[in-house]
Amino acid sequence: MLENLPVLSLIAFAPLIGAIIVLLLPGARSSWLRATAIIFTLIPLVLSLWLFAAYQPAQGGGAYTEHSTWLAIPLNIEAFRGGITSLQLGFDYHLAVDGISMPLLLLTSIVSTMSVLASVHIRKRWKTYYSLFLLLLTGIYGVFLARDLILFFIFFEITLIPMFFLIGIWGYYGREKAATRFLLYNGLGSAAMLMSFLVLIATLGFSMVDETSYMFSGNYDVLLSNLTDPNVMANMDTENARYFGIFLTDNARWAAFILLLVAFGIKVPIFPFHTWMLKVHTEAPPAIVMIHSGILLKMGVYGLIRFAVFLFPEQLHSWTTALAVLGVINILYGAILACVQREFKLVLAYSSISHMGIVLLGIASLEEVGLQGAIYQSVSHGLISALLFLIVGSLYERTNTTQLNELGGLAKAMPFMSGILLVAGLASLGLPGLSGFVGEFLSFLGLFGSMKILTAIGVLGILFAAIYVLRSILNITYGQMPEQFSGMKDARFIEALPMVTLAALIVLLGVYPSILTDLMQNGFAGVLEQLQTRMGG
Amino acid sequence: MSTFFAEYAWLVPVFPFVAFTVLTAMGKGLKKAGAWIGTAGTFASLVLSLCIAAERLSGDSPDYSNQMDWIQIGSLKLTAGFEVTNLSTLMLVVVTLVGFLVNVYSQGYMKNDERISTFFAYVALFTSSMLGLVLSDNLLTFYIFWELVGVCSFLLVGFWFQKPEAKAAAKKAFIVTRIGDLGLFVALLLLFWYMPGHALDFTSIHNVFNDSQGGAISTGITTLIALLIFLGAVGKSGQFPLHVWLPDAMEGPTPISALIHAATMVAAGVFLVARTFDIFEASQVAMSTVAIIGVFTAIFAATIGMAQNDIKRILAYSTVSQLGYMMLALGVGSVTGAMFHLFTHAFFKALLFLGAGSVIHSVHTQDIREMGGLGGKMKITAWTFGLGALALSGIPPFSGFWSKDAILTAAFDKAPILFVVGAITAFFTALYMARLYFLVFMGKPREGQHAKESPAVMTIPLVILAVLATIAGFVETPFNGWFGHWLLGGQEEHQASGLVMVISAAVGLLGIYIGWLMYAKGTIRRDAVSSRVPGLVVLLERKYYIDEFYQFVFVKPLQGFGKALELFDDYVVDGIVRLSGHSVAALGRLNSRLQSGQVQAYALTALLGIIILILAIAGRRFW
Repeated sequence: MLENLPVLSLIAFAPLIGAIIVLLLPGARSSWLRATAIIFTLIPLVLSLWLFAAYQPAQGGGAYTEHSTWLAIPLNIEAFRGGITSLQLGFDYHLAVDGISMPLLLLTSIVSTMSVLASVHIRKRWKTYYSLFLLLLTGIYGVFLARDLILFFIFFEITLIPMFFLIGIWGYYGREKAATRFLLYNGLGSAAMLMSFLVLIATLGFSMVDETSYMFSGNYDVLLSNLTDPNVMANMDTENARYFGIFLTDNARWAAFILLLVAFGIKVPIFPFHTWMLKVHTEAPPAIVMIHSGILLKMGVYGLIRFAVFLFPEQLHSWTTALAVLGVINILYGAILACVQREFKLVLAYSSISHMGIVLLGIASLEEVGLQGAIYQSVSHGLISALLFLIVGSLYERTNTTQLNELGGLAKAMPFMSGILLVAGLASLGLPGLSGFVGEFLSFLGLFGSMKILTAIGVLGILFAAIYVLRSILNITYGQMPEQFSGMKDARFIEALPMVTLAALIVLLGVYPSILTDLMQNGFAGVLEQLQTRMGG
Repeated sequence: MSTFFAEYAWLVPVFPFVAFTVLTAMGKGLKKAGAWIGTAGTFASLVLSLCIAAERLSGDSPDYSNQMDWIQIGSLKLTAGFEVTNLSTLMLVVVTLVGFLVNVYSQGYMKNDERISTFFAYVALFTSSMLGLVLSDNLLTFYIFWELVGVCSFLLVGFWFQKPEAKAAAKKAFIVTRIGDLGLFVALLLLFWYMPGHALDFTSIHNVFNDSQGGAISTGITTLIALLIFLGAVGKSGQFPLHVWLPDAMEGPTPISALIHAATMVAAGVFLVARTFDIFEASQVAMSTVAIIGVFTAIFAATIGMAQNDIKRILAYSTVSQLGYMMLALGVGSVTGAMFHLFTHAFFKALLFLGAGSVIHSVHTQDIREMGGLGGKMKITAWTFGLGALALSGIPPFSGFWSKDAILTAAFDKAPILFVVGAITAFFTALYMARLYFLVFMGKPREGQHAKESPAVMTIPLVILAVLATIAGFVETPFNGWFGHWLLGGQEEHQASGLVMVISAAVGLLGIYIGWLMYAKGTIRRDAVSSRVPGLVVLLERKYYIDEFYQFVFVKPLQGFGKALELFDDYVVDGIVRLSGHSVAALGRLNSRLQSGQVQAYALTALLGIIILILAIAGRRFW
């Protein structure tokens, strides 16, 4: 039944429809608004779970591709020799899913559902909140689904604006500064991305519609096949080809590659572009940090893999050492700083930096194991940090502080929440049996093949993770409980539900990793093989 | 000849895991029933383990192993599986037997704790993970369970989470062992990339490293792998220099000290080296390292043990010391000796801890200076404790004598100096046990202490363990090498040495005699040493200042570095961000000032622009 529906569009735009409905509802009816928001967050969840069940890794996501021309702008053809009848600049509406976006799609649908449940702690301007929230979701889904550079860019930008307001209106004390910092930093990243995309569209985006009509577009598949298939080039009239500049020169290639690294490096974030995300972690409302730390940072990883790995494997290959060094810096820098923080949210923020460093190592390996490890680590970290900030939200509701020295002994008053916090912490420090270990292990394993010493240094991060996780969590839940916390209640059902769900998923991914790795199967075999032949030849 | 029970060996860890799941799901509603669920789970494992053992004892049953795919990525496959060999069967029996007795004992010991069902849930999870570790057929699965037992140990050490000491000890236990785990983790990566076909299973490891041709993996890498694995074992088994967590771990409930920090988990390091022994044998450097670290830890911890006053800490240092013996055995090539001592030590040390628990339960203090004369009031505890102490001191014919003798003999054959140090350690061991026993159970009862014998649920496990501590040694004596033959198929020749036997028994007896003179009879004054060399006693009491040293050399500098890095992050990294923000704003202000409305200024600017353009275009030909 669902086969005939445009599933991907539904996933991407259901939240947008929800946002419009929310806008039409009376603003004082918080329960209506909330119910609508939950329903329109659940629709993509159900659809992506269905997609997950129906997904055949062997076929790829071909069955679910949605592709149509969006708009086409004719270009001047007078300058061309030969019988060209038409030349167009085309923008496509192109959505698709494959083994690399599928895990992140699932992550988005799960974390966003948990986040909308956690939004119970939002106290003002529900209508605006939920409509922005849903708009943000459309942007995120779009990013993971889009296969056209311009479409990707638009979705990417759509995530920025709601985020800006969500931080700036519902955040803590320093929210406005944090929101500005967020917007400026990410705006810079977007500018770099746009520059790179334009270079790509104007060169590799070239395709032949038929013998006499040609077209430039941001179609990802076209870019990929132009890069890999030398026949496309050979068939073309060389003079025109030169004019089109389809042979991306080495310098242009490098420029486009570096711009992409910067654009997505800011999002990941790679040291030294990380200071903006510290502010967001501490100032945004916890439900939004769940999205931010759980999903938005992974857009950076996704971008790196989708564009840097697949389009520029050779450039990446000659920079793997640099990328691995940056990864190791991320791991250790984040971890050591996490060890000395006095504010729990900052511990988690720095730990995110550290964990994203492991993702970078996985990417730098340019090995199937490592790359899948990078994605696995992204999904795992998404779930773990969503769970951690879910707890932070509930904790702050009760204690009104997340300063470590003001907390203590909460396991006595709230055994359930403390237990879940411990599970999340253990997952974060990479305890086997929980998801964090698999991602770390695969990433380290991948990189170890080519860079033994660097990996071994990076492994030190696991030790620091144990230190900062235990230091902070034991400070919160163990020891003597201050008087004023004695009457506190443990998690309510509405809080416990997402906590248990996330914890269960973390265990599931830790025990049965094939559930994700089977999706990816040989997701990177093509590009790695191609890299090898080009390097060899 | 059959493998009927072995094929179901995977069920052994499943029983306690089910108990854990039930206990966690049902939570506090269970109260007392929770204890029974935990005990029942371990009992089921015990029965199945005994069936497996019976099957393997009855004939030459082939080893049985079974795998399934865990992760498959491209052509790489990571498997999970279990393997039943005589070595793993031995461990199964030790773990389930001690585990079951500790469960029974805890029903009495933890009776009044309001979180009793949580306690039994943690114990069940530990037992399950430990059994999984024992059964693992490859190093990756082994590592997974290795970490899980570590986290259970952490949870149980910190069980009384409100005590600041328990919190600190739990944290320390986890972090210090994790230093070792890093070694094992990197060893795992190395093996993965160097082993033919990326195999991580113990059979392949055996085949590759046992190959007399060698060549598959260079000596340097072999040594590196062996040392890294050993680092893991050092952390887990409390060997110098990572021993510091084990005595602190005594903050946990005493049954836990018996189960985890004496009989099973801390022995996992020894088991790990035994399991990957082929890698060690292929590297002379690694073997020597293991032997030297082992023997040094043995004597080092024994000396500290003589100066401690906390009954559990004395036993903890004794455990560290005995684990050192086991490492020594491995280092001199005697897997039999190591596993034999692991086997007997599990019983007598569990017995000693449970006996100590019985004492603490009764007098509510752990300081042996506040105890005395308990022998009269706690007869069963005193008798069983005495048997355990004799076994630990290596007095014939108790079990500890035979296993220690096996180790000392092997050391004597390899390098007499190792034997000498080992024998001195044996003397110290007997001395501190005599001190402990005489101070606690002999002498005059303290006033105001209403000590009484513990309930049967606690004493029956003591009696069973006492019987085992007495007789378990007869499976392997210099006159009967049955155990070693069964364990390793008779690969090692057991050399009997009358001289070693005599010396080892003599030093033990001497130690007890001197202890008796000092602490029971009073012929030698107790402060005979401390009055002459006070510095030495303080040094021992403060455990050679190792903790202070680490605090000074690692913890403080790291904190300082972290603080410095924080400033760097705040002022340099973020400073540049702020600076670029400000400079853009400043540029904006500057430009807005140009927009003054004065037409003359605009015209001047335009003129300047034209001149620059002309220069640029005209100048092109000269470039």
